[in-house]
Amino acid sequence: MLTKFVDTDSDFNLEVAAEYGYKLVSMPYSIDGKTIYPYEDFTTFDPHSFYEMLRGGVVPTTSAISEEKYTAYFEPEFAAGNDILYIHFSRAMSMTFDTMDKAVAALLQKYPGRKFYEVDTKGITIVSYLMARELGDLLNKGMTAEEAVEWGKKEVDHYVQYFFADDLKFMRHSGRVSGLAATMGGLIGLRPVIHMSTEGKMESIGTVKGRTQVMERLVQYVEQTGLDIKKHRFIIGHTDAPALVEQLSQMLHQRFGEDLQIECVTTNPTAGSHCGPNGVGIAFYARNRWK
Amino acid sequence: MITETLTGKLFSAMVSQGAVKLDGNRQAVNDLNVFPVPDGDTGDNMYMTLDAGVREAAADASLSEVAASLSHGMLLGARGNSGVILSRIFAGISEGLSGLDQADVKQFAAAMKSGVESAYHAVSNPVEGTILTVLREGVEGVPAEGVPDLEQWFAALMEAMRASLAHTPELLPVLKDAGVVDSGGAGLLCIVDGMHDALCGRISESRSAADPAGKPAVRLDDFGPDSVLEFGYCTEFLLRLQTAKVGPVDAFDASVIKDYLDGAGDSVVCFRDGSIVKAHVHTHTPGEILSHVQRWGEFLTVKIENMTLQHSEVTIQDHFSQAPQQADYVRHRLRYGIVAVASGAGVVQMFKDAGVEEVIAGGQTMNPSAQDFLEAFDRIDAETILVFPNNSNIILAARQAAELYRKARVVVLPSKSIGEGYVAAASLDRDCHDTDELVASVQETMDSVQTCLVSRAIRDTQQDGVTVHEGDYIGFVHGRILSADPDRNEAARLAAAQLDLAGHDVALVLWGQDTPSDQAQALVERLQADYPRTEIIPTDGAQPVYDYIIVLC
Repeated sequence: MLTKFVDTDSDFNLEVAAEYGYKLVSMPYSIDGKTIYPYEDFTTFDPHSFYEMLRGGVVPTTSAISEEKYTAYFEPEFAAGNDILYIHFSRAMSMTFDTMDKAVAALLQKYPGRKFYEVDTKGITIVSYLMARELGDLLNKGMTAEEAVEWGKKEVDHYVQYFFADDLKFMRHSGRVSGLAATMGGLIGLRPVIHMSTEGKMESIGTVKGRTQVMERLVQYVEQTGLDIKKHRFIIGHTDAPALVEQLSQMLHQRFGEDLQIECVTTNPTAGSHCGPNGVGIAFYARNRWK
Repeated sequence: MITETLTGKLFSAMVSQGAVKLDGNRQAVNDLNVFPVPDGDTGDNMYMTLDAGVREAAADASLSEVAASLSHGMLLGARGNSGVILSRIFAGISEGLSGLDQADVKQFAAAMKSGVESAYHAVSNPVEGTILTVLREGVEGVPAEGVPDLEQWFAALMEAMRASLAHTPELLPVLKDAGVVDSGGAGLLCIVDGMHDALCGRISESRSAADPAGKPAVRLDDFGPDSVLEFGYCTEFLLRLQTAKVGPVDAFDASVIKDYLDGAGDSVVCFRDGSIVKAHVHTHTPGEILSHVQRWGEFLTVKIENMTLQHSEVTIQDHFSQAPQQADYVRHRLRYGIVAVASGAGVVQMFKDAGVEEVIAGGQTMNPSAQDFLEAFDRIDAETILVFPNNSNIILAARQAAELYRKARVVVLPSKSIGEGYVAAASLDRDCHDTDELVASVQETMDSVQTCLVSRAIRDTQQDGVTVHEGDYIGFVHGRILSADPDRNEAARLAAAQLDLAGHDVALVLWGQDTPSDQAQALVERLQADYPRTEIIPTDGAQPVYDYIIVLC
């Protein structure tokens, strides 16, 4: 038997995870010293309350999970004789995977013969969500774990993500985005546009002034790089910005037709802690990642 | 004063004054402590190490006896990586002064070289760009011949150390990224500075207790049940070698301990002084290390600190707060500091949020003086100070102050409105190395901004084709009246209609202290509906005089 895992940084909630039979690895965030594990410490995420808190000045922190926690996720599966496939967010973005490697190495020694497969989506939130959904479909159709790993390596650069943040404060605090301009930004509507590099890191690829203009830039990226976008899922993710999502959806439908199937996803709180409220992003199938 | 001979008494006084100087700057040195891992506070660790030595140092004995007692005290008191290295520097100096009742300049210079060797030898993997480099380049920078007295020798040492310290960010990218110089090197320069003070007769006695009283308590809750031991433990111990375990202590090769530690942890500093081995190591498993090394001796002291907690402690401190009496070489000097003139709590906050260091209260009805500017300049430590006067009546005073100021280059950017100054400050590229290029870019930004003001007319007038009645609200740009209406929102809307609002990506609407927020909200909604492509950003500016300031950028 193969047990499939996906993590909460990939924007999966309990409901969507259950749809594919995925088990969730919960990536925590902390507020005022209290660590919260999404979908373990709560079952339903209330994005508006969470991002309102950030608008009020709270800047959460995030942390890697412990070896013990990974062991607690994975050992019961190995003990039951199952192999594991873990579709996860980018290795290049967190040290948590070093800890995971230690846990997995110890478990594989303890349970010889068991196998651990992983697919690195080289992204986070919606692009990981998109890949895990499309891979989930393939697995449900009979794809094997080995084939899934190969698929991940071959396809990952076709899955792209572009997003913008509204408030540079969170991005600066996060320290996870390279290339951010040294300007303070302030209230002049300057927003960095960020993508996931082929190495699986967040990079700022420009700054756009104006809310409509930044969304036009996202549409441009779809025009320039999109490939068979209607044969794949098209995802819009947001950090509590429903009006912007609506506007962007309209712009996309206007440009690519009403038959473009758009799925809207709320950004998970852990990744959202690094982006801040009022951010919007898109993930879709493309010729390749931005070089 | 000319001192050609160093006595024990003088050396003791010099080191003591070094401790005074370091004490006065230790918070500033702590604030530089961003490298290589959170390992306590460099300033505190170096001070406590030096203090332990000064307390043990014989005050009135031969030079070699003073140096040996100082070194022994520091050995026992050494804390942290930087403290341990400092203790090895003084151990090396002591070795170099061994047997001397007093020393001339050449003998002391040779002892300092011995200090350099001892420090490098104590560290398993010497890293350049650290205290080691600052010491070595400092000592190498003093001419080998022709320095007649210790005052000149120390002056030359300080000059070379300063240059070396300033160069550390070029050697270590992590320092450059953080915009700081090496903390250990800065601490060492403080000590040498104090020693030089004593040589020149500048003695002060005030020194605080070794344990930093004002040090914030470690927040134990920062390491909770689910926390990850990200940085391991800073582990230090003094081990007394035991004959029963290693045989004749003198014949025991203590390098086996260092070799073991090198394999077991990071940031290893380990050395032997007689039968005592002092070690510092970063490890995730201190228990294993202590169990292992106990095969060679018994512990005199052990200190283990969770560095993840220390890291939390560092992050909650204000990294750039400045201590009084701060030496210039430990300051975090900004490349650019910004001064702006503004009034209204919301407007002032906007400027601060945009990274403006000093906001001087003022504006249309209250023009600050040149003196106000000079005082603001003094509160900023930057290579270049940029000034946004934000009103044409204030530009001259700002320029006058700029001409008078000598401690930094001051550039007045002649912003004539809050809008010009704010947009330019918020989009300033602080990484730009070329000030002239920066100024040109700021000017271009300011030229692209339009600021429309809405205020109440105090008399009837007919101007620019607009009829104004006393009490009307008028909308105007650079003194040109665009609209007049008894309703402030209508005056604003009509003025906006005459500006190229649709041609701008963003309009910032600041409402004043006399404008009800629900009215302001209504204006924002109306403008957003009229100009859907323009992002309207509302802010409670709480400014006096102007009911609205509308900034187009």
